Amino acid sequence: MSREQNVLKKIDKPLLLMYYALVFMGLFTIYSSSYNEEYPEIYAWSQPYGKQLFWIVISSVVGGVILLMDSNFIKKTSYATYGVVLLMLVVVLLMPPIKGARSWFKIGSFSLQPSEFAKFATAMAVSYYLSGINIKMQDFKTKFTVFVLLAIPGGLILLQPDAGTLLVFFSFIFVLYREGLSGNILLGGFFMVIIAVLAVFLKASESMGNVFGFEVEANYLFAVMVVIIGGLIMLIIKNFVLPRYRKARYKLTIWATLISVVMILSVNWAFNNVFKDRHRSRFQIMFGIKEDRKGDGYNIYQALSGIGSGRFSGKGFLQGTLSNEKYKHVPEQSTDFIFCSWAEEWGFVGSTLLILLYVSFLIRIVSIAERQRSRYNRIFGYCVASILFFHFMINIAMVLGLAPVIGIPLPFFSKGGSAILSFSILVFILLRLDAGRTEELY
Amino acid sequence: MNPNQGRRWVIVLIMLFIAFIFIFRLLYIQVLDDKWSNRAESITNSQEVIKPARGLIYDRNGKLLVVASQVYDIWVTPRKIGKIDTLELCNVLGLSREEFDKKLQKARNYASYKASVFLEGVSSSDFAKMITKLQRYKGFEIKVNTQRGYPADVGAHFLGYIRKISAEKYKKNKEGGNDYYLMDDYIGITGLEKVYEEDLRGKRGKVKYLKDRLGNKKAELEIDYAEEGKNLYTSIDLDLQKYGEELMQNKIGCIVAIEPSTGEILAMVSAPTYSPSKMVGRDFAKNWTEMSKNDSLKPLINRAIYNSNYRPGSIFKLVQALVAMQSGVITENTGFPCNKSLIGCHNHEAPSNVRIAIKHSCNPYFYQVYKRLILRGEKSNIFKDSRIGLTKWREMVTTFGLGVKLDTDIPGVKSGNIPDTNFYDKWYGKNRWAFSTIYSNSIGEGEIGVSPLQMANLAAILANKGYYYTPHLVKKIGEDGDKKEKFKVKHFTAVDSSYFIPVREAMEQVVLNGTARQAQIDSISVCGKTGTVENKSFNDHSVFIAFAPKENPKIAIAVYVEYGTWGGTWAAPIASVMIEKYLKGELSEKGKKKEKRIKEAVILTKHSDFKH
Repeated sequence: MSREQNVLKKIDKPLLLMYYALVFMGLFTIYSSSYNEEYPEIYAWSQPYGKQLFWIVISSVVGGVILLMDSNFIKKTSYATYGVVLLMLVVVLLMPPIKGARSWFKIGSFSLQPSEFAKFATAMAVSYYLSGINIKMQDFKTKFTVFVLLAIPGGLILLQPDAGTLLVFFSFIFVLYREGLSGNILLGGFFMVIIAVLAVFLKASESMGNVFGFEVEANYLFAVMVVIIGGLIMLIIKNFVLPRYRKARYKLTIWATLISVVMILSVNWAFNNVFKDRHRSRFQIMFGIKEDRKGDGYNIYQALSGIGSGRFSGKGFLQGTLSNEKYKHVPEQSTDFIFCSWAEEWGFVGSTLLILLYVSFLIRIVSIAERQRSRYNRIFGYCVASILFFHFMINIAMVLGLAPVIGIPLPFFSKGGSAILSFSILVFILLRLDAGRTEELY
Repeated sequence: MNPNQGRRWVIVLIMLFIAFIFIFRLLYIQVLDDKWSNRAESITNSQEVIKPARGLIYDRNGKLLVVASQVYDIWVTPRKIGKIDTLELCNVLGLSREEFDKKLQKARNYASYKASVFLEGVSSSDFAKMITKLQRYKGFEIKVNTQRGYPADVGAHFLGYIRKISAEKYKKNKEGGNDYYLMDDYIGITGLEKVYEEDLRGKRGKVKYLKDRLGNKKAELEIDYAEEGKNLYTSIDLDLQKYGEELMQNKIGCIVAIEPSTGEILAMVSAPTYSPSKMVGRDFAKNWTEMSKNDSLKPLINRAIYNSNYRPGSIFKLVQALVAMQSGVITENTGFPCNKSLIGCHNHEAPSNVRIAIKHSCNPYFYQVYKRLILRGEKSNIFKDSRIGLTKWREMVTTFGLGVKLDTDIPGVKSGNIPDTNFYDKWYGKNRWAFSTIYSNSIGEGEIGVSPLQMANLAAILANKGYYYTPHLVKKIGEDGDKKEKFKVKHFTAVDSSYFIPVREAMEQVVLNGTARQAQIDSISVCGKTGTVENKSFNDHSVFIAFAPKENPKIAIAVYVEYGTWGGTWAAPIASVMIEKYLKGELSEKGKKKEKRIKEAVILTKHSDFKH
């Protein structure tokens, strides 16, 4: 009894408050975006908002149960949870496909999406593994094991197929970075992304270079340029770097150049051979190479119109004229494009507020993670922050036309029972671990 | 402490950086650049036209002459039709295979991918029969329209008709800055429909609304309500009009009846006439061609206003007498011998004053009256003297609404002809004509041209002893409206009302003891004057004007029966039964006999053979 009271007292109130703020902002946005005049009650069972409310309640119940659990128990079940979810991911592949993907267990009018649960299960497994004794980030074995822990659910999800959710597993790079992964890898990753984006841009814009009168694809010139820059950097190292550091720098430069060239060439190849027409035109639309308001660019054109029409202060609750069920001008207004509904109704003021709230929530999670004594707790905290941040970043970038259209939900906002339950479990586990941080020694 | 703790700030910075990019992007999309909000408007906003109902047309007693009923236009987009059983579709639409092919070809010629009118003006009852079956065919859509209906089935000539605006007119309107009409609007083409187009059509409304993705109307933003077209309350007496049309069956000519105290036209019949409903709906083109090209009697012509080359014949003597007295060239007691060597005449008592001359319609008398009017002795040269005389005479005659265009509300009215010096100069050369050249004018022949409307107006002037209101058809525009101001203006002739007294008395005598005894009505004093318009080599035209009762006249009338010979033969009895019907409601025994005789007569050819 006393311990339970203790837990409740020690819960991080700001985080809990922000969690419920986001969840209810989300619920009201779903209410507005799928409002049905015949069922105005927010708890209307048959309506998306009624279902969302139901899942919010379920999430709180599950969250309550988590708070009552023992921290050590939670930690010790990490692998078991991971195993159960992997099993679910295997079994779901045997289910009949819905909209072309085998991602759901359908039970009555409800459906469960195990790939959502994979998010917290993988977080637990990675935290458990990395918090083990004598685990050092620098070891190749450590990196490899983490890669395997991520690759198994990632691979199973790719089989569904659900590329959007797979992307989330890349978010663990922040966790690994915090735990000692070389900053060069994060920087390198960032560098690679830029190289890749540039290569895609050159390809998508069908840029051609002229070499001695021959038309050459710009990406080949780009690769040659990268090699030349690599050579120049080698020269600089030879002349300006102390001899004892030179070997390591040479190695790094050679690897970077090599990987860049491979990246450019494979993007160049993939663009024609792996991408489908719609992917190609999505990139072209994203880069503003072409404007297409009917075909592949339809979604983003409509979404931006919806957001833009909110102007400074928005149209007001239930006053949207594009991003809701009544008008349907914006696709997926309750799921991936839910931010449009919010931005249309609350304008620039509201969208800024939402983004600030979200970032405050994420930063609060980071601070909570940092105050943990136990490595598990800290790693898990970073997992939560990274997963949520990745979703937030990709989802908003997509609806703002800064990233190609990728099906990924906005946590706590997008409609979806499994998603809100999974995100809530992440948050509540963190709250429980944080509340018990003083009792633990490792 | 963990050596990597500093890295939290890298992660936090990345988060803040991304948030900053998002907020900046939002600032741009939502606040700084209005491109997207404008696009949003073009996505959501739409508008449609609200068509007002066209005004109805009533007679003077509130009986409906013209209604507006809902009809259906069937539009076709040829490319969308696809493979169909053409014969079955023909059955559904009630078309023959040839008609169907012709219409479809016409639509194809317009554009195979755009909708155009296929069947126009399908009535509600026909539509009900075809709708369920038609729905199975692709490429056909239905648009609601209003169409005219004519419950009384009279007055085709003055009511006019409406048609879908023609492509040329649409273009011309657009270029002229009149952008009111849309491609599928109806517009008045003739008659009242044309003159009162802007009142009848009302004002189109517009509703701006928000649409959903599929284009469904979801919320109205702004409604600019349509203004219903105004109803027209005409001066026509439906019963009289109908009766006039019955009387004129199998005859060529016209009747115009006017209420003298107001200038309101009570009836305007042009024969042969046609059913106004022939100008409505699907068969318009067929009917129109039939009547304008194939019918030698030209039923489309409104003879009451159009045939300004109708000469007035002897009825013009009334004007001559009045003008002469006013000019001082005669007094009411001036007498002339009936000198048949001047101009032909029949045997009658000596015309020792104006009254007797009118009563017997004495030609030599008015020859001499006209001579005094033209040759006033102001110049010794008869050519020059004639010029002065003609000008003075014409000036006075035109104050009777003759030789000038009456500013009425019937489109296409003609001015008729009261010749002036220019006219004769052109014809004969300057100073090469004198009274002796133009004397035929004295008895309403020669170069005098008067439309039946002007003749009726002349009767009204006589009834009013010297003034008239421009004859008009509409007494009220809209429920609480009024007639046009110009129809409330009294136009005085140049002749004093005192000179009208002997002329009116003479007209009474014409009916009682003169050439128009056929026009007598037992209990009503009718004043009239016959005319027999010379028609060389064919039967003469029969003309009669009258007003009644003599005191406080209620009706003035002009009747013109082509090839009807003497004025007293057909025109006078027709006028008398019209007057009797209007004033009494029903005919006496004597009237019924006249009516029977009139209705049985067929006077359609130039050599009409009938018993007098």
